[in-house]
Amino acid sequence: MIGLLRVILPVCLLVLATPAWAHSPIMGIGGVFGGMLHALLIPEHGMSLLALGVALGLQQPVASRSGVLIFVAALMGGLVVTAFIAEPALAADILLAATGILGLLIAAAWVPPVVGWVLAAIAGVTFALDSRPEVTSTDEIIRMLIGTGIGAALALALVRGASTFLKGNAARIVMRVLGSWIAAIAIMDLALRIVTRIATG
Amino acid sequence: MASAAVSKRSTSRSLRFGLLLALLSVMAGPALAHSENGVAIDFVGGFTHPIFGPDHVVAMVAVGLWGAFLGIPAIWILPVVFPLVMAIAGALGVLGMPLPGVETGIALSAIALGGMVAFAAKPPLWVAAVLVGAFAVFHGHAHGAELPVGADAIAYSMGFVIATGMLHVSGIAFGALSHWPAGRIAVRAAGAVIAVIGFAYLGHFI
Repeated sequence: MIGLLRVILPVCLLVLATPAWAHSPIMGIGGVFGGMLHALLIPEHGMSLLALGVALGLQQPVASRSGVLIFVAALMGGLVVTAFIAEPALAADILLAATGILGLLIAAAWVPPVVGWVLAAIAGVTFALDSRPEVTSTDEIIRMLIGTGIGAALALALVRGASTFLKGNAARIVMRVLGSWIAAIAIMDLALRIVTRIATG
Repeated sequence: MASAAVSKRSTSRSLRFGLLLALLSVMAGPALAHSENGVAIDFVGGFTHPIFGPDHVVAMVAVGLWGAFLGIPAIWILPVVFPLVMAIAGALGVLGMPLPGVETGIALSAIALGGMVAFAAKPPLWVAAVLVGAFAVFHGHAHGAELPVGADAIAYSMGFVIATGMLHVSGIAFGALSHWPAGRIAVRAAGAVIAVIGFAYLGHFI
């Protein structure tokens, strides 16, 4: 019986143990694939791609395609800059603000082409500037940034393509609610970031 | 004989000690590294924050109930207005901007929104939206002022907003019963219960 307990007790303790994430769940996955995951798995980035994709999906096909191209161009330019400079402090905040505005536009189901294009450009540049990987090797940084560019462009194209199929009243309501949630999350996140920054100096 | 009895007693004591240890280890809770007053600043912390405040819960459910009761387009406009205004007011609360009468406003929101459902009130859409938005200010500010300054702001915000949305959806789902005569009575009764809970909060009975 004692022997049984000696087995059960360590098993109980082992079952209760939770993983210790020293860094990130995708640590160790580098290169182009790591960069692609980096683009998709950071919540702020994923949310910005979702918001921009849905917003562009609400536009007419020509304006929508132009928006994607503007985003990709801005993203590429931003990635080139990111490869050579340190991450600017406000890039994440500006990306979040752009995401919040996109959320509001989705909730209103009103995305004028010019506004969509400007936001696509802002999102592209800030997305890239906020994507500098935390590795020391320049080659690895460049590989990961290439992956980030491919991942972000593909994800945006997929979301935009999928959102153009969302027709009908129910789908429009779901999109409006989604937009309001995106905007609300962005507003709260931004406020928490500002206060945290003030509190921590 | 006596030594056998002593050995049996010792085994029994070891067994109890072992079982006690196993029980204690099973009961152990996680240690929250980024927390303030035991509140985790992550998705779960954000998700549970609105759910653990009954006064908030009833008001958010009432928004969904009233939206379902009013029908299209109120069924989606009210649940869109509420989180947006709540987030803006929450941001002001986080930033430390004072707002007087927050608790009274929250209790009044349950009374007013529950009362609207109970009395089957059907005001113009803009009146309903303004009313819901006005009460969302109090809820948002209260949540914002309580939020701990911490690490994973995006996960916390996502959990918070999704939980709020889910409470609206649960209200809408229950409010959908109003398509049937018996369901209509049940929905109006639920509105009355929410209003009574609001009165209880207003009178500090809860």
